[in-house]
Amino acid sequence: MTHLARITTAIALTGALAITACSSSKPDASSTSSPGTGKTVKIAVWEGYTDTEGKAFADLVSQFNRTHPGIRVTTLETPNDYMLQKVLTAVRGGSPPDVAYLFGSWAPSVAKIPSVVDLTSTAHSPEMNWNDFWPAEQQVATVNGKIIGIPALVDNLAIVYNKSLFTKLGLAPPSPDWTWDDFRNAAKALTDPAAKRVGWSIPADASEDTVWHWEAMLWEAGGDILTPDNSKSAFNSPQGLQATHLLRSMAVDDKSVYIDTTNSKYADLFNAGKIGMLVTGPWDLSGFTVPYGVQVMPTFAGSAAGHQSIAGPDNWVVFDRGNDRKQAAITFLTWLTATPQVKQFSLQTGDLPIRRSLATDAAFVGQMDKALPGVQAFIDNLANVKKARPQVEAYPKISLALGDAIVAVLLNKRTPEEALSRAAAASDQALSGG
Amino acid sequence: MAAVRELVRDRQPTASRVRVRLRGSDHLSGWAFVTPATVLIAIFGLLPIGWSLLLSFQQSDLLTPSTPWVGTANYRRLMHDHTFAVSVQHTIVYTALFVPATMIVGVLIAVALNRNIRGISLYRTAAYVTMAVSTINAAIIFMWLFEPSFGVVNRALGWVGIPAQLWLSNPDQALYVIVAMTVWGWTGFAVVVYLAALQGVPQELYDAAAIDGAGRFASFRTITIPLLSPASLFLAIWLTISALQLFDEVYLTTRGGPLHATSVVVYYLWDQAFNQFDAGYAAAAAYVLFMATLVITYLQFRLGDRYAHYRR
Repeated sequence: MTHLARITTAIALTGALAITACSSSKPDASSTSSPGTGKTVKIAVWEGYTDTEGKAFADLVSQFNRTHPGIRVTTLETPNDYMLQKVLTAVRGGSPPDVAYLFGSWAPSVAKIPSVVDLTSTAHSPEMNWNDFWPAEQQVATVNGKIIGIPALVDNLAIVYNKSLFTKLGLAPPSPDWTWDDFRNAAKALTDPAAKRVGWSIPADASEDTVWHWEAMLWEAGGDILTPDNSKSAFNSPQGLQATHLLRSMAVDDKSVYIDTTNSKYADLFNAGKIGMLVTGPWDLSGFTVPYGVQVMPTFAGSAAGHQSIAGPDNWVVFDRGNDRKQAAITFLTWLTATPQVKQFSLQTGDLPIRRSLATDAAFVGQMDKALPGVQAFIDNLANVKKARPQVEAYPKISLALGDAIVAVLLNKRTPEEALSRAAAASDQALSGG
Repeated sequence: MAAVRELVRDRQPTASRVRVRLRGSDHLSGWAFVTPATVLIAIFGLLPIGWSLLLSFQQSDLLTPSTPWVGTANYRRLMHDHTFAVSVQHTIVYTALFVPATMIVGVLIAVALNRNIRGISLYRTAAYVTMAVSTINAAIIFMWLFEPSFGVVNRALGWVGIPAQLWLSNPDQALYVIVAMTVWGWTGFAVVVYLAALQGVPQELYDAAAIDGAGRFASFRTITIPLLSPASLFLAIWLTISALQLFDEVYLTTRGGPLHATSVVVYYLWDQAFNQFDAGYAAAAAYVLFMATLVITYLQFRLGDRYAHYRR
């Protein structure tokens, strides 16, 4: 078991590291066919869709291939987590895919890859209807004023709660008027050590998943991650401390939080009735087996920021494999992200519509919610996404520092003040290029 | 390795005849057989080793083609990197626990299984089966076994009055859970190696010892352990190399956390290369590990020459 896996990992690591040392890239012989020759242009799309999404995407691709005789799209399924790693290796090998699905949080780094196609003019073409994408999607696709991606996915965070547990304990379910104090009290009321039940769970693996939960809270408190010019950290503020102290009070004082340090157990425990509330996204809904309700995140009493959430949009990124293939890739993405296809994909998968206009299409939203109960609340919640993560190259380092800070507070290893000031120092150093 | 040496020694009486014949066509066909493997090893083994050495003297973000030469800057940075120091420390602690634990558990089980009783092949299969469980499955099983509120381990401790532990959620315990998990996973390997070696221990030695009045423990200590030493040397080297390269289990369970408590060298360099886009720096860390592995393996061979007993 471990042996083979280890060898494979070792080879993959050394291989990937080594390949990067070779910086030459040669033109690819297979990028054939010029316009007018009547030949089919083949493009490769790397995506991470599995199960229902995989089937829905395959349906769309075959529809496209049927209706566009000059272009032939082939797909390669690669887990999203490893996509950038594989794409980087392929870029160095001189044979990147034409189109790849890449996480939005990678965008500032992706923008640095020379073969990434500048899609600014494509995005502003009338067929693309760029302003129909959610603002958060537009922001994540844009790095230093240049558009490097076409939106592939949008989601956000909201409360998902176990309805029967609230009924059984005679508690009022979460409402849009809730403040974080109400949330804390409900979590306390749901907690019962004898029944091994807690009110809430937070992913605590110090990954970006931990961090974006906290970032939404920071914004609701009225704070910001960085200064407006993105030159320094701004989260070590009264607002940042307010959000962090709340986590500390719930995790350390009330013990009403399941601290999921491996970020792998919350869904099973929620289904087992051991966790009353989660703050999570629409992707989890189809896995829940208990009757659940969805509600927007609470507000901080007295904060003018009101209800907010955070979107984690992802991008389709195009790599330059010669003009024909580039044009074919753009044709494919324009078609893929047009309203009818977005509608079809969302209805089949339950993924939130990446186009704003669909959120006001009552018939469509009703159909979505019927197929996947609660998804309407997530669609409505997209309007609460007011800010985006800063599009800076240092973001992975900032995320790392914040992840550590939050987990240290949850595990009662550091005070909120100490944790945030350490994270701020690390972030400032990363931002100054250190 | 030890096994190979033994083979070589066994063949020695015929060596002169072999040498004569090697000059003929056997020599060529021998090379023909090993060439494909040699070429593959050169491409996938030696080439990357050389290339990553170059990379460790460059600044590379994996994204842009420009990789400026920075000399030893990456290595100098490593020396002042607190998280790297912590990762090295964890790797040492992990190796120091994992290698002896796997060998001790392995030898005890192998001795217990080295007898003819009914259903022995079933027991032997059971001992080896941990090698057949994929790392991802083992990781999921252990995450639930050591789950703080609902895990079986805490439940069992509760029966004897020990309070529930946080295990993977506690920075002071997480590394030990990973040790337990990997010892479990590798025990089957150690058992197979020791079982094979035990088959070669002649029964006459035990009989002679028994006549001299040696008890079971005395013959285990003075006969079994010394005669297993070539197998022990092989296991010590093999397990040490794999321990220094610990990655999968950490990646699948704690991702180096909580609070870097399980960050080991390979996990750290992976994170630097593919999350922080600092490939030159990661290559430098990889090279430090490579040199350390070389030195440790060399020392183990030297010790082995001194203490491992080969039958002649």
